[in-house]
Amino acid sequence: MSTAPNQLLADDPLEPYPLMVGRPDDRTVTEDVLRPIWRPTRKGWLMLVGLGSVGVALFGLAVTVTFAVGIGAWGNNIPVAWAFDITNFVWWIGIGHAGTLISAILLLFQQRWRTSINRMAEAMTLFAVMMAGAYPLLHLGRPQFFYWLFPYPSTLGLWPQFKSPLLWDVFAVSTYFTVSFLFWYLGLIPDLASLRDASKHRWQRMVYGIFALGWRGSAHHWRHYRIAYLLLAGLATPLVLSVHTIVSFDFAVSVLPGWHTTIFPPYFVAGAIFSGFAMVLTLMIPARRYLGLEHFVTMRHLENMAKVILATGLMVDYGYVMENFFAWYGGNPYEAFAFWNRSHGPYAWAFFTQMTCNVLVPQLLWFRKLRTSVAVLWVISILVNVGMWLERFNIIVVSLHRDFMPTMWGIYTPTWVDWSLFIGTIATFGTLFLLFLRAVPAVSASEVKELRRQLDAEAAGGGTHAVPHLSQTRPEAS
Amino acid sequence: MKTYVLAKFADEGAVLSAARALREGGHRALDIHSPVPIHGAEEALGLRPSKIPTLALLAGLTGAATAFLMQWWMVGFNYPINVGNRPPLSLPAFIPIIFELTVLFAAGAIFFGVMILAGFPRTHHPVFEVEGFRSASIDGIWLSAEVESLDAHPMVDQLRTLGAGQVSIVPEDLQVVTP
Repeated sequence: MSTAPNQLLADDPLEPYPLMVGRPDDRTVTEDVLRPIWRPTRKGWLMLVGLGSVGVALFGLAVTVTFAVGIGAWGNNIPVAWAFDITNFVWWIGIGHAGTLISAILLLFQQRWRTSINRMAEAMTLFAVMMAGAYPLLHLGRPQFFYWLFPYPSTLGLWPQFKSPLLWDVFAVSTYFTVSFLFWYLGLIPDLASLRDASKHRWQRMVYGIFALGWRGSAHHWRHYRIAYLLLAGLATPLVLSVHTIVSFDFAVSVLPGWHTTIFPPYFVAGAIFSGFAMVLTLMIPARRYLGLEHFVTMRHLENMAKVILATGLMVDYGYVMENFFAWYGGNPYEAFAFWNRSHGPYAWAFFTQMTCNVLVPQLLWFRKLRTSVAVLWVISILVNVGMWLERFNIIVVSLHRDFMPTMWGIYTPTWVDWSLFIGTIATFGTLFLLFLRAVPAVSASEVKELRRQLDAEAAGGGTHAVPHLSQTRPEAS
Repeated sequence: MKTYVLAKFADEGAVLSAARALREGGHRALDIHSPVPIHGAEEALGLRPSKIPTLALLAGLTGAATAFLMQWWMVGFNYPINVGNRPPLSLPAFIPIIFELTVLFAAGAIFFGVMILAGFPRTHHPVFEVEGFRSASIDGIWLSAEVESLDAHPMVDQLRTLGAGQVSIVPEDLQVVTP
């Protein structure tokens, strides 16, 4: 089977973009996907990693200062006892959720456009959860005692408080990371075997051979592997919903105006997927170009993700409307004040930036011209994440800073350590992602091969109405 | 002495009919290697459905029971703490951790179940001795048969008549023969 020629299609807005440009055979798929790993290191990549390493060093410095001085090095105070730390925790963990949604939920719904983006999205999940996990550990004050969070038979005879959402969080986040990692690694095994078998040097063959665990593509392997993969997707689906629900309980279970609301779990989950998809786009738009895999990660994928951002953005908007409505309709003056304070208090700039980025900007995605423009999508994806970060900042800091009694009011100003930790996690996350792109296939070769077989079978059997056009391509509006 | 006979086939249909023919001829120790799962390979090789789902169910139930018993005993009996006069045994508060441990145990059982049932990690295997077998994870479809060394050459002939392309023999001393 040879690659179909690039044919131009009349610009019919009702026809979707193809899932895969051309129909490369198995060997070509493998070569295309592995090429970024075998080719010599590029200058641009090296410069980005260098830049990232500076950020990692800054992160290390800020962590050291935090450990040496204690969390007094941060701008946190009373009443703002939670600030950048928890804002960043919630932001990062939310970003991670898009990866699981793509890899697990879209698999169960048989959405084939997940196939060529799931690997990158899951890697993003893992790195985002790592960054998220760093913050509560740092915020413990004495991070060397992190194991006190787990129920272990201590000499004090004490157990953790199982009725606290903060403890549920410990279980939720650690389970989430473990399951995401197992799911990602299991999906990676056939491709690691391809890497082992396609490697030219003995050391590469040995290294990838060890990580491939001896995968031989045997029917005995596949029969366990396939059901295992499907079941892990089935488990990851409710898990991802539970994680952000439990994160939202950290706030909703308290009695603080602005936090104490029942809409938080669905509102947080929608916000997580909203910001996560934005981060996937932020990473994938440059990555697919760097990898030269624009024929596997096509405009169809980008457009579909834009649609998910629009849909979840509308859910988030509904959350904004409802929490403000209940603040007014509930008749609780403290609750009403908390919301009035967001748009009229000292942090009003954050509120209005949040509304611009999260409510107004995503509306551009209604227009096909805009959501199929790579540059526009990339800018929107970044603005959405700015907006979602500010949403968490507004929920956490702005709700805290004006307590019930005006004598308890305060203001929060981040210190350089706060900023360094924040910038440091972004840099560490970016560096890990760059290393990932260099070390393992960023698109699942074995799943793309299966997808090609499905598309071939559909094209041969007539399939659905849209199928004949899938083999054709059209220029991307970029 | 055990010997592996490896044969490359041109397409999925050919390897499936070859596997069926060999099985009808009484050969049981067969395997098909391919870069993507082949529909019908399990039936052609006579493999039973995977035990992974059962394992996952049992592990999930174990996880749920562990989480429930742990919380029930720790805060209900061993060291009850009165917070806001809530009852020490409040099941709704236990649900999140019960759910998380159910998922954790089941996912662990699935992953490590695959490791054990598929015999991983096993970074070396006689089939890797054949240079051409590298294609099995890229684009090649291979059939491997485990035979006594005396039966290796008859097996080669049989595979050839069944439409195999390249055929290799890997004896236990790993000196590959390509007849």
